[in-house]
Amino acid sequence: MDNAYRIKFADKLVFMVCACLVGASYWHLWSDEPAQLAIIKGHQSQTQVITLHQDTTLSVTGALGTSSLEIKNRQLRFTDSPCNSKLCIQSGWHQRSGDIAACLPNRVSVQLARNDAARDYDAINF
Amino acid sequence: MMQHESLVIQTTRKDHLVAGFAALAISIHLLESVIPSPVPGIKPGLANLITLYVLLRHGWAMAASVSMLRVIGGSLLLGTFLSPTFIMSLAGALASLLVLIAAYRLPGKPLGAMGLAILAALAHVLAQFLTAWALFIPHPSLFTLLPVLLTAALISGTLGGILLNKIMQRVDTRLSQ
Repeated sequence: MDNAYRIKFADKLVFMVCACLVGASYWHLWSDEPAQLAIIKGHQSQTQVITLHQDTTLSVTGALGTSSLEIKNRQLRFTDSPCNSKLCIQSGWHQRSGDIAACLPNRVSVQLARNDAARDYDAINF
Repeated sequence: MMQHESLVIQTTRKDHLVAGFAALAISIHLLESVIPSPVPGIKPGLANLITLYVLLRHGWAMAASVSMLRVIGGSLLLGTFLSPTFIMSLAGALASLLVLIAAYRLPGKPLGAMGLAILAALAHVLAQFLTAWALFIPHPSLFTLLPVLLTAALISGTLGGILLNKIMQRVDTRLSQ
């Protein structure tokens, strides 16, 4: 009976397999998947969802004026904005799903998403 | 003339064991809940070791009772009954229970405490995570946390299983004395 509570071969097997699966989860979930969509919100205008696959430039009407966005190589950036700080332009290119580029003074924001439109809330606390 | 018959619920030795193990599991559950954790969702999982112990010693029916009593009793004492925390706790307990029972019933019973504890811990974390994602935080970024949680589950499951082997050995020695 002394041997009843040893680590058995199958236990080691389970450990190895699970360790491999956990390792694979890092590889799968932590590899940066490029975003596919941009969800653009302007001031008092409808939210528009556009694909990042086509290189283009577009203008979004904000509270102060018009912000210009550029999409190139599945990346997105602000190229021009009527705000003072220009932080939105300085934040540069965005390509990862979940990235958010915003011009707060002009009330224009862009959220990048993998392949479905953003859900209702980003987090809740309890 | 007729007096009320006093109502006595007949309890068996089994009931006492379930109550005792559930009390033990709830105590550990409460103690674990006050241990600060760097990442939400990472816990030593010692309360679930009680479930595993009961499964190995007394069978799946009793393990299921102890596990459910732990979830309900623990949440009542912590004030989280029917809250999101409770739902996640319940989902984790149910998933690990099902996986435990299935793995324990494999023909030839190849798995010992360590293998079972690893599977239970991973099932627990996975079910909690998917519940959280489906019901409370439906944001794709949440998946970034999953590998960390799974790693923690693998480690705590492995250590928990080894610990349980030692505990069962000791219990046996005590009982045979």
